Amino acid sequence: MNTFKFYIALFFITSLTIVVSCNKEVTYSEGLTPLQPTNVDANAGTWKPVFVTSYTKYAASVPTPADTSTAAYKTELTTIKNLQSVLTSSQKKAIDYWSGGGVLRWNQIFRELVARYNLPPAPLANGTYIFPDANNPFADPQFPFSNPPYAARAYSYVSAAIYDALKATWYYKYQYNRPSPYLVDKGVKSLMPKVNIPSYPSEEAVMSGVTQTILLALFPAAYDEIMIKAGEQRSAALLSGKASSSDITVGIALGKAVAADYVARAGTDGTSTAIGTKAQWQVLGDTAKAHWAKLPAPVAASDVITWLSLDVPSRPPMLPFFGTKTSPGLGVKGWMMTNANFISERPGPPPIATQSEMKNQVDEVKYYSQNLTREREGIVLKWADGAGTYTPPGHWNQIAEGYVRDANFSEVRAARAFALLNMAMHDAAVGCWEAKYYYFNPRPTQLDPSIKTGTGIPNFPSYTSGHSTFSSAAATVLSYLFPDDATYFTDQAQEASLSRLYGAIHYRVDIEAGSDHGKRIGSYTVSFAQTDGAN
Amino acid sequence: MMLFLWGSLSAQTPMITDGMMTPKKDLGNGIFYGFDSWNKYWEGTLKRDNQNIGTLTTQAATWMGVYGLTEKITLIGMLPYVWTKASGGTLHSMQGLQDLTLAAKYNYFNKEWGQNSIRLFALGSYSLPTTNYTPDFLPLSIGMGCKSLSARLTGTYSLKKVWTFTASGAYTWRGNIFLDRPSYYTNGQMYFSNEVQMFDQFDFIVRAGYHQSNWHAELFYTQQNTLGGGDIRRQDMPFASNQMNYSKIGASFLYVIPQVKNLAARAWGSYTIAGRNVGQSTTINAGLMYTLHFSNTQ
Repeated sequence: MNTFKFYIALFFITSLTIVVSCNKEVTYSEGLTPLQPTNVDANAGTWKPVFVTSYTKYAASVPTPADTSTAAYKTELTTIKNLQSVLTSSQKKAIDYWSGGGVLRWNQIFRELVARYNLPPAPLANGTYIFPDANNPFADPQFPFSNPPYAARAYSYVSAAIYDALKATWYYKYQYNRPSPYLVDKGVKSLMPKVNIPSYPSEEAVMSGVTQTILLALFPAAYDEIMIKAGEQRSAALLSGKASSSDITVGIALGKAVAADYVARAGTDGTSTAIGTKAQWQVLGDTAKAHWAKLPAPVAASDVITWLSLDVPSRPPMLPFFGTKTSPGLGVKGWMMTNANFISERPGPPPIATQSEMKNQVDEVKYYSQNLTREREGIVLKWADGAGTYTPPGHWNQIAEGYVRDANFSEVRAARAFALLNMAMHDAAVGCWEAKYYYFNPRPTQLDPSIKTGTGIPNFPSYTSGHSTFSSAAATVLSYLFPDDATYFTDQAQEASLSRLYGAIHYRVDIEAGSDHGKRIGSYTVSFAQTDGAN
Repeated sequence: MMLFLWGSLSAQTPMITDGMMTPKKDLGNGIFYGFDSWNKYWEGTLKRDNQNIGTLTTQAATWMGVYGLTEKITLIGMLPYVWTKASGGTLHSMQGLQDLTLAAKYNYFNKEWGQNSIRLFALGSYSLPTTNYTPDFLPLSIGMGCKSLSARLTGTYSLKKVWTFTASGAYTWRGNIFLDRPSYYTNGQMYFSNEVQMFDQFDFIVRAGYHQSNWHAELFYTQQNTLGGGDIRRQDMPFASNQMNYSKIGASFLYVIPQVKNLAARAWGSYTIAGRNVGQSTTINAGLMYTLHFSNTQ
């Protein structure tokens, strides 16, 4: 029996070792290697702007710097040396953190902000909902509700503004050619990777200024965190010997000046009216029926089944006027596409809900609902990217992150990659939302309530699939940027699309039309990229 | 049995937390049916309902085996098959074989005086998922998907041979789990990883009972605390590593059926009186246990 006891004891000790050894703290953020660009992209100041009219318009923010031989500049060097002699461990940690690349770090940070704020309002006791209030962002519901269209737009504003701001930075860097402090004075240590580019204005300071300004407009309740991160980034540039205080002061000013132009655009881009009013929601069905009646093959209003919210209590539709292009004054602007482009690229209609072709679509969804294998469930969960997550556009930013990091792009080229990706996904959001509310088609479960779903049913019309549109627009841009891996991106986009059919929340026609649409939308951004001077 | 939504499995099972031993070379096998339901839950500390879930029902059919390795050591095994279903909303119900638990209970101290006695027990148990079910579909997931190991101490005091008082407490180490997705947000942080840290748990139970020759009735209070983890955010879905805490009151009953040799019936139920990131469950379990004697002395 003692042998038995011994084996039992051995079993539990082994089990404990196994459990305890796999009970480790999970790393907070994705690791980045110190950024050492293979090409500094010295000509980035000549690349085409995305939105700003020119880089020279910010000349007032970037005055001619003092020469490095002046007493004023030498004082700046002394300050750095003094600070470097008393570096704290948290300052060293911040330098290491930002050495991974400012563009990549900010991308991680705003993905986190989107996930934090991507929660729908809870219903009130009387069965109604109140909307987040930009003027009271800390309330319940918190502001914003960074749902997929909001998030796509947010990612695009931050990414595009960083990109334009960095091109302006490169323009002035190579105009003034002021070296980094550690190159001027051997007594200044270089604690960040040595990148052989001029330091006036500091790219870290520009990024901190532009990003802080835009993020505060998008996520006002995250004020403390945004300010701390932005401050930390420019401190890291100073303490690492990479930039002097005048490199930084001017960088902040330039970043904020570019951001101001973007914030002005955001204030008038149509987002403020995207939610609409109760009176407007009530006529969405009638408006859609009017659209169906005007199709090349007109459909009678009596044959059109319009979308109903499946949330309990019934919830107002998500951002019904985000994509509108057929009512003047409504709808969010695209980056690469005009209103006319959005209308001409709109997918044709789905099958009519009352006809047999649609019944086949419903039957297929029902099949997947009743046959949710573990493999398909894994795909559904991998791509769900629903409430509380960074949304599908965030997922594609995460996919892009690894490629941008491994490519060792300069900051400005990394910014280009994320700007192109996110502008395409913003346009995908606008185009997809346009189609969704143009046709106002019901979800499978509305047509057949026995269809149970492997993920939550999003609270907006079915046709076309947002996941499919986002993913194929993203895959189109990433395939242009990283052609060796085009097959991988296309496969991932295809999997993301199918996840919505497997999860029984979309018909096949939704995901096929969405994928085609996304590819066409992405090609507008690729056309821009082909002639932007960066190739 | 004892599948309490979002709760630890073994901490709820009388065979794990009581002071009963199985005689040497006796093998007991039983099947238990469990029913757990709630229509209110705690979103963090806010108690609420959710019409997109309605009433969440969890049912389980559990095999349980006990074997007397020696007079001092009893081995216990259990394996539940679990069904979950939400009466509201559109989310898919789930079902499948859940976690296998293996435990050994060691009676290391006995003292009797007159009609009173004190007995002390140490129990170790190990639990692991038997299927690749997802823990990432709460509240409909059938379990947490983590391996765990518990160390438990139990003491019973028997007064005048009829009154019993039992206290039991355990520390449970839990292994990390892996999701199908590459990132998640919980406890105020974004994690760009599919690996989730599952925090350890502590639970205790106190029981007071009355014992007669062929039956034993008890009332109990039990509490479980998760030693870390975040709250469910406002209007968010629950997440596997949430800090799931609860307090329950309940009753259990054991009846050795006189008409059928070696057959015992066992039932217990509980009601959640306080919680955090868990449903306010009402739970009922009942089943039969049949014992085979392999001892030569019988």
